[in-house]
Amino acid sequence: MSDIWVIAENLPWAATLIAGAASIKNDAKITAFVNGDEAAAGGAIAAGAAEAFYLPLPANAVWEGYAPALSEKARAEKPDLILLSASRRCRDVAAQLAATLDAPCFSEGKNITVSGDGVTVDTLLYGGLAIKNSVTSASTVLVTMGAKDFDPLPVDASRDGPVSALRLADNAIAVTGRKPRAAQTVDLAGALKVVGVGRGVSEEGDLGLARELAQAIGAEVGCTRPIAEFFKWMPEECYIGISGQQIKPQLYLALGVSGQAQHYFGIRDARTIVSINKDKESLMNANADYYIVADWKEAAQALLKAVKK
Amino acid sequence: MKKIAVCYKWVLNDADIRINENTRALDMEKCKPQVNEYDRNGLETGVKLKEASGGAELVGITCGLNTESSTKDALSRGPDAVYYLDDAILESSDSATTSKVLAGMIRSLGDVDVVICSEGSSDQYAQQVGPRIAALLQYPSVSYVSAVSLDGDTLTLDRKLEDGAETVTVKAPVVISVSPDVCEAPIPSVKQILSAKKKPAAALTLAGIGLSADAVKPLAAINSVKAPQTSRKAINLSEGGASLDEAVGKLVKQLSTDGLL
Repeated sequence: MSDIWVIAENLPWAATLIAGAASIKNDAKITAFVNGDEAAAGGAIAAGAAEAFYLPLPANAVWEGYAPALSEKARAEKPDLILLSASRRCRDVAAQLAATLDAPCFSEGKNITVSGDGVTVDTLLYGGLAIKNSVTSASTVLVTMGAKDFDPLPVDASRDGPVSALRLADNAIAVTGRKPRAAQTVDLAGALKVVGVGRGVSEEGDLGLARELAQAIGAEVGCTRPIAEFFKWMPEECYIGISGQQIKPQLYLALGVSGQAQHYFGIRDARTIVSINKDKESLMNANADYYIVADWKEAAQALLKAVKK
Repeated sequence: MKKIAVCYKWVLNDADIRINENTRALDMEKCKPQVNEYDRNGLETGVKLKEASGGAELVGITCGLNTESSTKDALSRGPDAVYYLDDAILESSDSATTSKVLAGMIRSLGDVDVVICSEGSSDQYAQQVGPRIAALLQYPSVSYVSAVSLDGDTLTLDRKLEDGAETVTVKAPVVISVSPDVCEAPIPSVKQILSAKKKPAAALTLAGIGLSADAVKPLAAINSVKAPQTSRKAINLSEGGASLDEAVGKLVKQLSTDGLL
């Protein structure tokens, strides 16, 4: 193992992956590919890469259009390991690269180790219910990784290394418009307390009770995927789960949440989980610290009364 | 537009997984197989695209162990026909193998203009199969699609990414991977379930699509699958017939003690 590539959606994520690469193999030659401009590539050098390429977001094409150029380069240079940010664009690129290289790709891998047997990686199954430990002796191995899996190395602006642009091949997909994400109105990731609402909330009007309770205990309100994406009762940024927000509050209070694995993934780092669900056997009750078997509305009203005393 | 193919995975329902407290192994005995929930939105996207195409054939495609038993369920969700590849060798296949087999099936069907995959599967959620199939077939890949419209052989697609939304246009052939919010997936009606029995389901084989057993060998070996230790106490405050007010009282006391109220 001597060559590690890092492909990232942005410079901070690249810096994290560079630190990860260095911790997996401290004498590896690290080459970085970063979404951004020349300065971003320079930043990757300062963060510990030996060489860096910048891949600016094209105005009229998708960023994934760099996949063929990356494949071609990977086939020629045969890196041992490619670490990619687990962002949507990079996940797509990771899968395309892996297919053209006939290589394994581990999604959101953790605890990567390299030994004589090859590369060993942990991945999650069933939204975090189980951990799969795999080993591969493939000549190139791809792993997508979270944004905070490693602390970046100290920035050393005096480091020097070649910086260049990666060329973008002609692409069949034309981008006709982009809309920046609306500013976030809630900070679930940083909230100390979160009230979560699930499909047990059968009417949009009932959200008022959940909000009132949240306000009384000083909590933000989040929800499960269907509440945001199917019913659109709450903005998407409020949805907690494997492809939404992952939160670490001191208290998570689940109201009428069934507790499917993909939702639990987003709350598993909560210090205390309380569930109110009329189905005693619900997964959310089983995965809570404390639960009350009751209609969530009745319980929320009783709780509100008790807290206000 | 001749054919639209929707890939679906026949997965075990994870709601019924039990964990052996001693070994931390997963007990899947009570889990029944079902069409992966994410893929139900993919199948419904196929139905809508077929309507917009004015005459394309809509086929469902799957591979894996016991996939023969998936065909009635899948057919009740809209496809005109289902092609399945049921082989024990694919029992624990990863994204690499699954996409090689699905790409092989699509190639052998021929004339597939649009391949629809969903965002991921409820078991592995690796989110790789769509873009992998695209790379293998040398079709463009458009992932995280939240809206689809069709005009002739040109698709207009909305994508949702971390930094915002992107609208793209692409000419068929193409592989699209749709997010669950692309459309609602209705529960099949009795009529649809009955008519599914009359629709064709055809078996394909690895040899038939030109893949050797060697070509579908997993690229990684599984050392272990275990549930991590959890520290959740799961204390039932309603235990012993406690009234709602009693249970809420216990909760308030506990949370106050823990400094959470």
